[in-house]
Amino acid sequence: MFTDFSKPQRQSAAGIIINGAYIVQKFVRAMFIPLALFIVKSNNAALLYAALGLAGILVVSLIYAYFYYLKFTFYLDPKKQEFVIDKGVFGRKHLNIPVEKIQQVNINQGFLQKLIGVYSLQIDTAGTESKEVNIKAINGEIAYALKEHLLTGNNVTELPTEANLAHDVDEKVQETPIVKIGASTLLKVGLTSNYGQSIALLIGFGYAVFHNIKELLKAFDNDRGQLEEFFKSGITLISIGILFTGIIIILLATNVIRTFIKYFDFQLSKHQKSLLISSGLFAKKNTLLHPSRVQITTYSQNYFQKKIGLFNMTLKQAHAGHQPSENEMKSNNMEVPGCNADEKEEILKMVLKQLPEQGRTFSPNFRFLNLPLFFTVVVPLMVYAFIYNLTPEIRPFYGLAVMYVVLVTLMIYISYTKHRIVVSEDFIIKQSGIWDISQEIIEPHKIQSISTSQYPWHRKLDIGHVTLHTAAGDIRFLYGNYTEIKTLVNWWLYKVESTEKDWM
Amino acid sequence: MISFTNETIDLDQLPKYEATMLTKPHPKYWTLMVINISVFLIILGIGLAALLLLNDDAGLNWLIWIALYLIFAVFLFIVYRASFKRRGFALREKDVLYKSGVIAETTTIVPLNRIQHVALNEGVLSRVFKLGTLQIYTAGGNSGQISIAGIPIEQAKIMKEALVQRLVVQSENE
Repeated sequence: MFTDFSKPQRQSAAGIIINGAYIVQKFVRAMFIPLALFIVKSNNAALLYAALGLAGILVVSLIYAYFYYLKFTFYLDPKKQEFVIDKGVFGRKHLNIPVEKIQQVNINQGFLQKLIGVYSLQIDTAGTESKEVNIKAINGEIAYALKEHLLTGNNVTELPTEANLAHDVDEKVQETPIVKIGASTLLKVGLTSNYGQSIALLIGFGYAVFHNIKELLKAFDNDRGQLEEFFKSGITLISIGILFTGIIIILLATNVIRTFIKYFDFQLSKHQKSLLISSGLFAKKNTLLHPSRVQITTYSQNYFQKKIGLFNMTLKQAHAGHQPSENEMKSNNMEVPGCNADEKEEILKMVLKQLPEQGRTFSPNFRFLNLPLFFTVVVPLMVYAFIYNLTPEIRPFYGLAVMYVVLVTLMIYISYTKHRIVVSEDFIIKQSGIWDISQEIIEPHKIQSISTSQYPWHRKLDIGHVTLHTAAGDIRFLYGNYTEIKTLVNWWLYKVESTEKDWM
Repeated sequence: MISFTNETIDLDQLPKYEATMLTKPHPKYWTLMVINISVFLIILGIGLAALLLLNDDAGLNWLIWIALYLIFAVFLFIVYRASFKRRGFALREKDVLYKSGVIAETTTIVPLNRIQHVALNEGVLSRVFKLGTLQIYTAGGNSGQISIAGIPIEQAKIMKEALVQRLVVQSENE
């Protein structure tokens, strides 16, 4: 069959239908609510016009799809080893993707595509919008041949999928794990970390319960505010104390349970050059991780964890796609929930090949405090003062306002004292946090690009910010000495541009 | 091993990104921006006119509304003018620089060996003015990428070709 991709070629002709359908689908999705309202509310004559209008849209979409089909070509440039796409009816877009940058080629078949018998082909290069390189209708044979070409044409052999490998590993190798987390450590982890997530979970849960009981009472036409009454009558000083303790106990219990479900029997072991991580109470999850793919290595500790010598580690991998969803981000991150100092160093050595040495520390200017203080303390205080004058009811709560101001100011101040970067020959360590103090470690050659920025009113003061963009997220250092930052940036640029080391 | 040297690097001797001469966007790009802002303002103006004519309350205060509209329009022009003035790009031997920003001035530097791919965009209006937008993608996600608007199309094509060539050369070296 055709395995010659060096000449520009179009999609499968069925692409016209697929593309037309996509446009209609997009339109209907955007207009869904107005359309539904219109259909429900209007009379027959209007409905007829609406149907005609829709038919018109369909025809226009098909015509557009036809031109889109005519103008959409792709080919593989054998000399430059690039995959080239030309597209666009009104505005033209030319895309060149060097073959060696291609990470993954996905072939999918949606419902409509199944009906017509075509496939869609998406090309993932770390860091680009996968939608950009999406051939929506392509003949199956061509698709697979193209995939083969793109992935093997330049000695890029397809990596075995994580699941496969993990499966193999499970059967063959049972090496002694580097980190093995027992029940007692998990208990400690559960008691000391991730409060934020559990609080959010509990608030959501509590609200849902409250709301549902209300709905139930309403349904029986019985809602006379009993629930609110119950809560009001229950609030005395003692009951608040009990409630508070109760909430803390529930919070800790949730935390421990969550930790156990997720990290039960956690093991991290070395398998050839990769790290194999397995954990889980109900569903055992195996993940294989190549150290060179780790972009940011983070470890963190809060006050309690410091007392018992426990670290929380996260290995962040490169994510594909320009706006990864929350889930994608999480699945790309490998967490080691609890390890001691030795285990932490062992993992660091494995991922970074050496322990980060000490370097020069850079701290922010005190103006770091200004904006957060203004927006989270001064503005709310002004709003409170304004309402204070208007409504006498809120006056007794001034104590809360004072508490808020003290607490938030303290938090901002702590975040200021903890915010710093340590720069050494081979590493950049960014420290930040208020309660959980985290250290993010990156190697200069993992930097993708660098941004520096400065507000006009900081020019005289020589204060500026720098952001290091990596494939696993940004590292920012704010309100530093701009001259120093510029020197650092030039130095990092030199490191990135003079090195042969790849970031992945 | 013959050419291997390992001398101490003097940080002050490194090329300074901040001292690079930047190329401004083409003056025609300002015209294009003005057209874009005007179209937006006209649409907004029509909306406002409809509101003033149909809503009696708003109609009574028409002077305030129109004053707000005018202030907004002037503000928009000033902001865009400032952002236009600030923009600049440079293609260095080993990286691409782009400076932009409305309030804060941001300079983004993308090393050539970190470029994933390059796209050249021509909008409908830009085609009339023969301008193009060069988009440079890295693996660093949205924030670390640069998109340089208002380059004369011929120059943009040459730049794109140069960047793409560099990508290929680099991959062959590996």
